[in-house]
Amino acid sequence: MVADLPVGFWSGWIVVLTCVSLATLAWVVLSVYFAPPDAKAEDAHEPVWDGDLREGASAPPLWWFWMLLGAMIFSLVYLMLYPGLGSFEGLLNWSQGKRLVSSYENYEQSFDARRAEIANLALAEVQAAPVLMATADRIFRRECSACHGIDGRGQASLFPNLMDIDWQWGGSPEQIEQTLRNGRRANMPAWGPILGEEKTRDVAEYLLDFSDREHVGRPVYEQSCAACHGAEGAGNVFLGAPNLADNIWLYGGDLDSILTTLQEGRLGNMPAFDEHRLDAAQLKLIVAKLAR
Amino acid sequence: MSALSLHKRVEENTGLLIFGILLVSSIGGLVQILPVLNQESLQEPTANTQPYTAVELTGRDIYIREGCSVCHSQQIRPLIAEVERYGPYSRAGEFVYDRPFLWGSKRTGPDLHRVGGKFSDDWHRVHLIDPRSVVPESIMPGYPWLASRDASQAGDIVAKMRALSTLGHPYTQEQIDAAESDLEGLLEIDALIVYLQMLGTGLDEEIIR
Repeated sequence: MVADLPVGFWSGWIVVLTCVSLATLAWVVLSVYFAPPDAKAEDAHEPVWDGDLREGASAPPLWWFWMLLGAMIFSLVYLMLYPGLGSFEGLLNWSQGKRLVSSYENYEQSFDARRAEIANLALAEVQAAPVLMATADRIFRRECSACHGIDGRGQASLFPNLMDIDWQWGGSPEQIEQTLRNGRRANMPAWGPILGEEKTRDVAEYLLDFSDREHVGRPVYEQSCAACHGAEGAGNVFLGAPNLADNIWLYGGDLDSILTTLQEGRLGNMPAFDEHRLDAAQLKLIVAKLAR
Repeated sequence: MSALSLHKRVEENTGLLIFGILLVSSIGGLVQILPVLNQESLQEPTANTQPYTAVELTGRDIYIREGCSVCHSQQIRPLIAEVERYGPYSRAGEFVYDRPFLWGSKRTGPDLHRVGGKFSDDWHRVHLIDPRSVVPESIMPGYPWLASRDASQAGDIVAKMRALSTLGHPYTQEQIDAAESDLEGLLEIDALIVYLQMLGTGLDEEIIR
């Protein structure tokens, strides 16, 4: 972590200007304070009031002198210890970047062992530990609740309920872990332009009651939809194709919503949570919370 | 010579006094600003930092117009609490194409510098139109009109890109020629989401913290 300090000419520029300014200030303060009385009299170009009241009539107050001198000494010490004088890194070798690195070192020292321990626990052990599950709830609130809701029951007819038994991409711990780590991108094409209005409506109506095999929409379903959603409508977790035979509808199960889905397509997108967003232990906790 | 005699001379000569005031008040800028303007390591774009595309630029201007930067900062400081919450801290080289920069100075809402890729486009859409439909405790106002205005209304994109290339942003003629057609059919909310999704993605992928 190299500090991003100015180099070359501009480093010298900073050093010279800073030192000259400090020296000038010191000279002003010291020479005013220690000016001999006659120098002060010489300065008597100001009007005189009440016989003897004029500028420079008495020495500046002591607090004034020490405040200014103290500020200068402080800045000198500061510029020696911390980066400030051009490319000089300071005697403490301090920088914001290094402070961050050492914060992380302390953090890892305190928590790495515990995190490794959690990452290696069996899911059932995690689920049996109330303290860990409370932590899992907090991580869920921070990372997942914006979309899936604080209770994890989905919201906005866009983000799936994670508390039910229906899993678009599979509900095994391995599948959930994969969904979290790599993200998911569903790809329901827009069938409106392909099927035409009439056939789209036929399929939509058929989907309202999947068991009606005599329905006019059934052949269209078999031809266009079954490849992903299956002949029996059971869906396919490898494609993220949801079960259409059950009563769970992510984007709404009324005729209008189904029509919109068919006509415009749906591109559901679960963002990826890499190891910087969820480390191995946090991932384990979330999987333990979600897998049943 | 003592400072007192200099004091007398300065107070009696207005020209000298004006010069002295200008000199003293410029020292801070000469030390703190001028060297930074000439520091190459701060001018170099980070690995994935590109000039804003026509759509991103339009989204960015909508972001400015709607006052997003009043409540949302775009600068993550190198503190463990911020890096843990928002992601890798902000680097100077990520802002070389920001005119003006949108660092902000107050966080009423969270920092947005690394919001890109954090949520899906769908989430941004419902959240911008009605924040409380996905975050019940949110105090952010809704921006429903963004979903009914054409992105091409947001300003003269070609003139903006020309102006930026005059300032040194490396746009190609093809990019400028295609700018208007890039915006065709997009709503303001789409352009804003494209901008939000690219925020903070300019960092080299190797850099973690």
